[in-house]
Amino acid sequence: MTSTEERLESVRMIRASAAGIADRADLGRIRKLRFSEAGFDRQVLQQMCALGWLGLRLSEDEGGSGLGMIEMCALAEALGAGLVPEPLIATALATRVLAAPEREAALEGRLLALPAWQEQAGDPYAPPSASVRQGRISGRKLFVPSARGADAFVVTAREGSFLVRADAPGVALEVVTLQDGSHAGTLVLDGVPAEALPGRIEAGLDDACLATAAYLLGLTDAVLERTVAYLAVRKQFGAVIGTFQALQHRSVDLKLQAVLARVSVEEAARLCDANEGAGDRRAAVSRAKARASDAALLVTRHAVQLHGGIGFTDECDIGLYLRKAMVLAPAFGGAAFHRSRYADLALDHAADPSAARAQTT
Amino acid sequence: MTPSPYRLDDFDTLDDQAFRALVRAFLRAHYPADLRNPPKRLHWDEIRCWYMILSAHGWLAPGWPRAHGGMGLSAAKQLIYMEEFEQFGAARMPDHGIMLLGPLLIRYGSAAQQRAFLPRILSGEHIWCQGYSEPNAGSDLANVQTRAVLDGEEWVINGQKIWTTLAQDAEWIFMLVRTDPAARKQEGISFMLVPMNSPGVTVRPIVNLEMQDEFCEVFFDDVRVPRENLVGEINRGWSMAKALLGFERIFLGSPRQSANALDRLKLLARHVGCWGDPVFRDRYARLALDLADHKALYEHFADILRRAEPLGPEVSFLKLHQGELYQRITELMLEIGGEAAIGLEPIGGNRDLNPAGQFLASRAATIYGGASEVQRNILAKNVLGLPG
Repeated sequence: MTSTEERLESVRMIRASAAGIADRADLGRIRKLRFSEAGFDRQVLQQMCALGWLGLRLSEDEGGSGLGMIEMCALAEALGAGLVPEPLIATALATRVLAAPEREAALEGRLLALPAWQEQAGDPYAPPSASVRQGRISGRKLFVPSARGADAFVVTAREGSFLVRADAPGVALEVVTLQDGSHAGTLVLDGVPAEALPGRIEAGLDDACLATAAYLLGLTDAVLERTVAYLAVRKQFGAVIGTFQALQHRSVDLKLQAVLARVSVEEAARLCDANEGAGDRRAAVSRAKARASDAALLVTRHAVQLHGGIGFTDECDIGLYLRKAMVLAPAFGGAAFHRSRYADLALDHAADPSAARAQTT
Repeated sequence: MTPSPYRLDDFDTLDDQAFRALVRAFLRAHYPADLRNPPKRLHWDEIRCWYMILSAHGWLAPGWPRAHGGMGLSAAKQLIYMEEFEQFGAARMPDHGIMLLGPLLIRYGSAAQQRAFLPRILSGEHIWCQGYSEPNAGSDLANVQTRAVLDGEEWVINGQKIWTTLAQDAEWIFMLVRTDPAARKQEGISFMLVPMNSPGVTVRPIVNLEMQDEFCEVFFDDVRVPRENLVGEINRGWSMAKALLGFERIFLGSPRQSANALDRLKLLARHVGCWGDPVFRDRYARLALDLADHKALYEHFADILRRAEPLGPEVSFLKLHQGELYQRITELMLEIGGEAAIGLEPIGGNRDLNPAGQFLASRAATIYGGASEVQRNILAKNVLGLPG
């Protein structure tokens, strides 16, 4: 592990390079891409590959940068602040699992592989029931993010993870347009040729979940910053409305949730990188995602309210943050799912207080 | 007398882990067993023995420099000291002299004041109380109206203080008094030291919602003290008092109070039989998550102190969140406790099953040390940069 100073430096560099793609002040590009065929810009994803973002978590031997979750979260946070629609987190999840030749193609942006793993609404961690017989996979996968843009899918089955080409016979994709202007696919596979992969999607789900929490954190801070700036200029009753104590106190309560989301995400990233016990790590990821999902929805809801009538228009950018929060809050497990997972991981194993006291007295 | 093995010339020769182990060993060896996790704030006659043990070992003043008889601990080690005392369940002492007055005298007091007062705090001869709040200077503390007027070589003090913690046990009071009624309100305040046995000082204990007489009203009627009892410059008392609030703000945001309450909520849930109930479990999980994130927030500010950097106004988030979290926990206690929870005494005489007592005790957490509304005002202006 590199020193703290070096890590701070790599986080600074990631933030600086992210600023070139994620523009938190101008959401014009994001607005234009809404409800388009792919919902994102393949060329921008290509740029992200060139910056090494897709392979950020891969080792240098695998063609990546060998960085940790601290750096990944810093990147995802910057993307969230600019509502960047390119599916970097999902693509990174799929790319990690690929075999060397496809991995290389993916890292160069020539092959866009997306993960197709979820079979149950509300539980992205449930084991798959899809199965592979004689090299052919059958099954039904839900909520494949930005599925129309994929060249290939990494599909989970009972036997492991498999690569499926998007244009292979037996692949059917039903697409639902989502509130943020992106889409999700239901992938129906009926005896589709499938190539066994060395890695497993399941091993990367927590990383993707935590990165999504970091994205939501960036979104939350950005929409709150805009809202506070608005309170400081909007006048009613002959005064700037930001001088009203009711609105000041509400803004503080929103910021408190953003602050808690930040320390929660940062602590989870540290635990992941420090290779703490698997249970602690998973509990920390659940904590971070539960907090970030709730904070993002809370803050975006109030952002609409604090903007008043203009906040209810599609023309106002506040709606873009709200809709993105609505889409990402449940992704990789929503707040209720992760609270329950946290409870299972942490509550019963925590030292019994009466026993602890008996020991120490 | 053999020298104490806990008296070191330089605690900085120990790394943090070794120091933590030393503090634990010290507490195990010396802390009076019957005073662990007391259900209320202890009075001087109850806690005196522990104060004197700390005094004898030179462990009373972790933050004071060694030259003044303190332990000379770094900020990082002061936090460890505080955390281990809390963790062990050590009772809070009448520590205003140690935590607030001592550092203030060391920074702003005259050499004569330092000589006269610091050793007597360390010996237990002087127990101090803090006279800041007044009936009309609570959240608006700068509105203090207690007057001090110079008459020859003496200050004559008239007015009233309130919420003065353990004033009935104190030999001395340090207080904010108005010395210039014409100046802007923060700029006419001075810092004064007054013996509690002066003629004209009257103490009236107040019974609080916990039925304890932890704090008092203190009345001053033509109380006369020598001119040299004013600390620092005249009319500079406000900024002196404020400059020393940093450590207090992180102390009031410590997760310990909420962590203890959450442990007791679990015991209570088992006692009343709702621990396995899924609805209760989700509510408990929310609180457990809030506490875990609060601990992360506390560590964030503790790291700033450990790096010897100043705490910014953001630290108000910590105190604000801790007080409200503590209350949410005790509110759920009261709710699940139902009829069994509303007795004046703990359930079955078990101190750990005291939902009503904890519910009432937690009411104070959002009032003392700057009410939640004041914390929100500070955060809105100084962190969010909102106008007005």
